[in-house]
Amino acid sequence: MNTKLKVSEISKIYPGCVANDKVSLEFGSGKIYALLGENGAGKSTLVKILSGVVKPDKGQVFLNNESIKLNSPLDAKKNNIGMVFQHFNLFETLSVFENLSIDSNKKNEDLRVLIDGILKKYNFKIDLDVPVLNLSAGQKQKVEIIRCLIRNPKVLIMDEPTSVLTEQETDDLFISLKQFSKDGILIIYITHKLKEVLSLCDEVAVMRKGKVVSVSKTIDEKIETLANKMVGENLNTIKKKINIFKNSEEILKISNLNFKSDDPYETNLNNLNLSLKKGECLGIAGISGNGQNELFQILSGEIITEGTSIKFRNKEIGKLNPRERREYLMAFSPEDRISQAAVPELKIYENVALNNFKSSNFFEKGLVNEKKIKEHTQKILSNFSVNTDNVELKSQFLSGGNLQKLIIGRELITSPELLVCFNPTWGLDVGAINYIHKTLININQQGKSSILISTDNDELLKLSDRVCVIYKGKLSKIMNAESVTPEKLGILMGGGSID
Amino acid sequence: MTFDLNFFGMLIGAIMASSVPLILAASGELITERSGVLNLGVEGMMIVGAISGFALMVLTDNLFLAVIGSMLSGLIISSIFGFLTQTLFTNHVASGLALTIFGIGISAMIGKNFVGIPGKDFPLLLVNLRESIPFVGPILFGHSIILYVAFALPFATNYFLKRTKLGLIVRAVGDSPVSASNQGINVTLVRYSCILYGGAMCGLAGAYLSLIYTPQWIENMTAGRGWIALALVVFATWSPLKVLVGAIIFGGVTIMQLHLQAIGLTIPVQLLSALPYIMTIIVLVVISRDSRKIKLNTPTSLGQIFYKEK
Repeated sequence: MNTKLKVSEISKIYPGCVANDKVSLEFGSGKIYALLGENGAGKSTLVKILSGVVKPDKGQVFLNNESIKLNSPLDAKKNNIGMVFQHFNLFETLSVFENLSIDSNKKNEDLRVLIDGILKKYNFKIDLDVPVLNLSAGQKQKVEIIRCLIRNPKVLIMDEPTSVLTEQETDDLFISLKQFSKDGILIIYITHKLKEVLSLCDEVAVMRKGKVVSVSKTIDEKIETLANKMVGENLNTIKKKINIFKNSEEILKISNLNFKSDDPYETNLNNLNLSLKKGECLGIAGISGNGQNELFQILSGEIITEGTSIKFRNKEIGKLNPRERREYLMAFSPEDRISQAAVPELKIYENVALNNFKSSNFFEKGLVNEKKIKEHTQKILSNFSVNTDNVELKSQFLSGGNLQKLIIGRELITSPELLVCFNPTWGLDVGAINYIHKTLININQQGKSSILISTDNDELLKLSDRVCVIYKGKLSKIMNAESVTPEKLGILMGGGSID
Repeated sequence: MTFDLNFFGMLIGAIMASSVPLILAASGELITERSGVLNLGVEGMMIVGAISGFALMVLTDNLFLAVIGSMLSGLIISSIFGFLTQTLFTNHVASGLALTIFGIGISAMIGKNFVGIPGKDFPLLLVNLRESIPFVGPILFGHSIILYVAFALPFATNYFLKRTKLGLIVRAVGDSPVSASNQGINVTLVRYSCILYGGAMCGLAGAYLSLIYTPQWIENMTAGRGWIALALVVFATWSPLKVLVGAIIFGGVTIMQLHLQAIGLTIPVQLLSALPYIMTIIVLVVISRDSRKIKLNTPTSLGQIFYKEK
């Protein structure tokens, strides 16, 4: 049966932000639609409205020419609209089957038969009786998809589904989505990745600042045209000149580092070896949850390891805590800006003061030297183009991009010899990403080293001199960035081997 | 020989009786916490249950009404906590502490007129069998109906959480209220229900103290049992059967150390009085070491306030 979905004049206003401004779109079954836009463009709000999580201020949704009310997720389910969120809506401590059975009225035995049928039909391999926290991100996503398929959806909405997947898993997902589309399910695919739009979707709607700015067939589009529509301006891309460091001095060496965690959510690290030269950027790729967190914490001193395995500037630093490491000219930018790198409730200058060095004189005789800290903060704000000059502002009111600039600025203003950053452009818009990338290239040009742990392969290949992949707590061999392709990274990220 | 056996039977019976209020309160709180709500008001709800049960018994002369009334009063006072935390989004810890302070205060106020009034005999089941069968008799028979309910409760709770749809929903809400809400589960309703159930069980635990265990009203007669129940839930890593084990050990060591004191051992009394706490913690820590199981049983969202997106 043909399905038609139409949204008409949808508006949603949050305090200080128009998330959706009279959005009107039409979709029909048998096709895969892309909804493209930057972070904050209003895509997620629109799909939350379609899935009944958020109520629009104005506007209507029509399914097969009938106006439908979507006041709760239940309404969306009743109307056979399925939704796979970017952040999984799974219960980590429950088993796969429990997750699937929670909103089903069927008897457990019947449900099992139904699920087994779906698993076979689409060639999914998932153990139904293990807790979800044991699954990989790709498997978790499959559980989400199965949850939708159980209810015979007419519409399936996928919100940025590939942000957590390997290349291989992405390919598998695309095959499945095309199969669903053939089976008559209308698919709406939300993304900010242009390549995916071109390789998967039939039509593309571009959103910017809450408005639909363009609807077109993907065969009429190219990466550049879509990018310009998405950002609304012409972007000049940056590319790093890759350096070869043969004679340069070695600044960091990790040998045979092992880390075993008692926490089942954490990953153990096995026999890590790496070395870094002066002025070099080493990229570490991998799907999140393969030990990046633990590696970052070991580098930053949040996890203390036996003193013999990490050597920085000819000194064993394994036993030093983060402050001691900073004083020894290391710098860190953690993944989670709001809870690890900065305290959201504190003012900007207070967050800067948290990096207190003996040499910085922020504190005298146990008292806070506010004037000194504020001057220092002003310097960071202007040197790193943070878009505010109010040092008294609470950090939580900074946008992601500005907060990241502040954090990187706070770390770099002391001229460290090594910067370790973990997903520094995660969730940022194109403008801020460009700025951070330029900054990171800049420090290498000044002869300082960096380690970039990132789940964004394009970023890694753009910024790194050498790259390796972390998979299940093990590092692959380190390769020159020139010789690496995204495909090679993808294979290694999925646990495969090359050459 | 029969005398000795009977003595041990009686001892075990006494241990069972003393663990009843802990089992009831902890089982109730366990359900509340499994839904992600941390209610520190157990002590307050127990003491309110104790005084309302006793007062109703005196006023109506009807034990059945007294028991039902104590559960209702526990439920009502827990609804204050529910309203504060689920509707007004106040902090769980602060609201729970306030509930305990409020409960102790109001029970003392109501209880003023009931001090010194003797309690009533609570009907005990199968008293004949208790006397006629040595050893087993005093263990299995001659208890109040509430004791049997209490000992069945951890098993029922376990079955509820593991095997029923509603139990699955409670665990899901405790794991991730946001996901549950996105699945169309009414998180607020589930959490309210769990809070009210926990309140009713704490009320019943209080009534057991004032109607059966020591049938009279004494100010502050729960004497910290609510806090022990709270600690049991955590140390038992949210597993109902381990709560049962913990409660029995606590009750057991409490009774044993009283006997040891009576014998006149040279161990300082303070140390003996501390023994139940120490033993319970040691045993529960030892049987709950599997960190993987702890992860799976711990309600991830415990104590977090849940706002629904609008």
